[in-house]
Amino acid sequence: MPRLIDPSLERLSAIMSQMGDMASECVSLAVDSYLEGKNTTDQVYELSDSIRNKYFEVEDLIFDMLLKYQPVADDFRMIRSSTEISYAFSRFGRYAYDITQVRDLFGDISECTNESLIEITKKVKHMINEAVLSFAELDVRRAVKIQEDEAFIDKIYNERLPQLIKSNNTKCALAEALLLRYLERIGDHAVFMSDAINYIVTGKHKPSEKRIASHTKSS
Amino acid sequence: MSTTNEKREEYRALFKNNVKKRLLVDKIVHIIIFAFVIIAIIPLGSILVEVFKNGITAISYEFLTATPGSIGTGDGGIGPAIQGTLIIIGLASLIGVPIGVMSGIFLSEYGDNRLARNVRFFNDVFMEFPSIVLGIFAFLVIVLILGHFSVWAGAFALALIMFPIVARTTEESLKMVPVTYREAGTALGLKKWVITFRIVISAAKGGMITGILLAVSRIGGETAPLIMTILGSSQFFSSMDVPMDALPLRIWRLSLLPYESSQLQGWGAALVLIFIIIGINLAIRYYFGNGNERIMKLIKPGVTAKK
Amino acid sequence: MTTLSETEQKITNSIDSQISDAISPVEKKFKMIAENVTIHYGNTMGVKNVTMKFPEKSVTALIGPSGCGKTTFLRCLNRMHDMTKNAKVEGKVMLDDIDLYDKSIDPIYHRRKVGMVFQKPNPFPTMSIYDNVTAGLKLNGVKDKRILDEIVEDTLKMAYLWDEVKNDLKKSAIELSGGQQQRLCIARALAIQPEVLLMDEPASALDPIATQKIEETITELKKDYTIIIVTHNMQQAVRVSDYTGFMYLGELIEFRETKKLFTDPKNDLTAKYVQGQFG
Repeated sequence: MPRLIDPSLERLSAIMSQMGDMASECVSLAVDSYLEGKNTTDQVYELSDSIRNKYFEVEDLIFDMLLKYQPVADDFRMIRSSTEISYAFSRFGRYAYDITQVRDLFGDISECTNESLIEITKKVKHMINEAVLSFAELDVRRAVKIQEDEAFIDKIYNERLPQLIKSNNTKCALAEALLLRYLERIGDHAVFMSDAINYIVTGKHKPSEKRIASHTKSS
Repeated sequence: MSTTNEKREEYRALFKNNVKKRLLVDKIVHIIIFAFVIIAIIPLGSILVEVFKNGITAISYEFLTATPGSIGTGDGGIGPAIQGTLIIIGLASLIGVPIGVMSGIFLSEYGDNRLARNVRFFNDVFMEFPSIVLGIFAFLVIVLILGHFSVWAGAFALALIMFPIVARTTEESLKMVPVTYREAGTALGLKKWVITFRIVISAAKGGMITGILLAVSRIGGETAPLIMTILGSSQFFSSMDVPMDALPLRIWRLSLLPYESSQLQGWGAALVLIFIIIGINLAIRYYFGNGNERIMKLIKPGVTAKK
Repeated sequence: MTTLSETEQKITNSIDSQISDAISPVEKKFKMIAENVTIHYGNTMGVKNVTMKFPEKSVTALIGPSGCGKTTFLRCLNRMHDMTKNAKVEGKVMLDDIDLYDKSIDPIYHRRKVGMVFQKPNPFPTMSIYDNVTAGLKLNGVKDKRILDEIVEDTLKMAYLWDEVKNDLKKSAIELSGGQQQRLCIARALAIQPEVLLMDEPASALDPIATQKIEETITELKKDYTIIIVTHNMQQAVRVSDYTGFMYLGELIEFRETKKLFTDPKNDLTAKYVQGQFG
């Protein structure tokens, strides 16, 4: 016999999965814009905006469920984590948009593309994919991969930034700095997301803030 | 969910038809019940009217206080009979009520065993015993042994009639007190007899008193047992070991006499007896009547007086 | 390192800490311990080998579907089953260091240490408010009016009823509303100076406002008393209790700090029950 909360939970699930797909596509498009010099601003903007709207929808739904059903146990953890996860998706959209803005601001920067940027981009795409799948399947083993990706992204970020100071090409240096920054933030949110997914499944919180703080300090 | 709106309309149409018929049947049953109630009340009412009509002329101060005069004359009164009735009811109650109440308490509070079941059974049987049999029993046990009719014998016989009634009604009243009050008492660490006497009985008071009144009314009118135990007399009460008069006996004697004056006195005595019974009823109800609305609420815990 | 004051802190008030499972309940003193309690009603087993430890000065809730044995279990804690003919209780129930089911124990005396409040308010109907509160005392021989007056005021204040009835203590108890009657029953139970308070679904017969008052009362009382409450209202358990035990078909399935049990139950059955997936 379906419970009163079940339709709402299903709806939450549906919207979140849409957000995930959109976020994935959004970020892919955005990074292609600077790697290949494509103008994807409008599309990315559309997607990002849609994701943001869905984020508000999710928030409404979550508070509605809290008000009506006072969920506990699995339901509770799912709903609680959904705030973090949907926020993460909305952030992906936002940073994707920011990335396209870099291209708009600096013009075609495809010549600035270098090895580290390509690698980092691959990692980001992979990571977002893992994050979306991890949530869809509630599979915490993927969290390991996400964390590995994120660690890699941080490493590159910490290596490249000092190097950019010595660069001759101001345009490329600045562009890359901005891009690295956005990509690194995307990475952070992906980790927060995986922590939230971990909470759904295991019921344990992880002191992620500390972790992030500790390894950004070390360089 | 398989009923469609059309089907629902169909069903509703059905109900409408039935409703009209049912209302009619309802009215008819109503009238029949009412009619039966009237039929039941009429004899009662007419008895009261009859007794009152016939007896009221006999009432006078002398009638109520004097001893009976010579047979056939209209003199004298039923003084001793009134006194006797009051005495015999009082004495019988003194014996019968405590025994009955204690038995009732035993059956209700301590009565979840075989002994109690047997006692209850015998109690019920006993309640249905013809009073003349009990009278004969008292005759054999007391009158024959002591060698004379006496008030003791009469009180004994009436107590025998009384106590099964009191026991039964006491038991039922106590059982009507919800078990949750006993539980509350237990949870407070009170001993069982304290709970029974200070809490349960207090709550069952109304029912118990009704039961006692029932028993008193019953014995007030008993004649047969009195014939064989107190015999009757024309004198006021003198001692416990001699015969005594009582209203039922006096009524019986008076009504059998062929004289019209005696018959009139008989009616008068009957009227007095009815008044006494009604009077006892009203007096006790009034005395305990302050708790009357509360008696209803005893039945339902957690119910408030506020609407 | 957690200091002693931190272990005293009520878990329900803290946000999920990083040392989530590290605080062990062993540090708390237990007021009552039920060990291997099995209760038979005639041929059926109402409670199967249940062991529970109740920390002092806290509220423990017992939840579970109807017929799971939680009320049966609760009632064995103050030997109420002595009143029931076919009930047989095995096991030990320790109050501090005394086994209440030991042969040498006088249950009547020890029942005064464990007060009980019932599901339907049951103030003695023929007594006034004052007499109801003092029933457990007066009927046990306490006569000193000064002490009785003090206790009446004290317990009625603890039950949040004093202000509403202080001007008319001679009023009949059944003229109060349902919620007031229940608070009166709480005051009556407190009057005998118990150490533990057992409550059997105390708010289930009451309206929401009255329920709220009862819950506030319980939250205040737990500063001084150990409270064990049976409830079928899970939100109430979450609001009011520090520890929760989930029972099913006579067995104790899970017993943990309330917040943990409701956000992350270890047992599948518990998860199903609290989420309303059965019973």
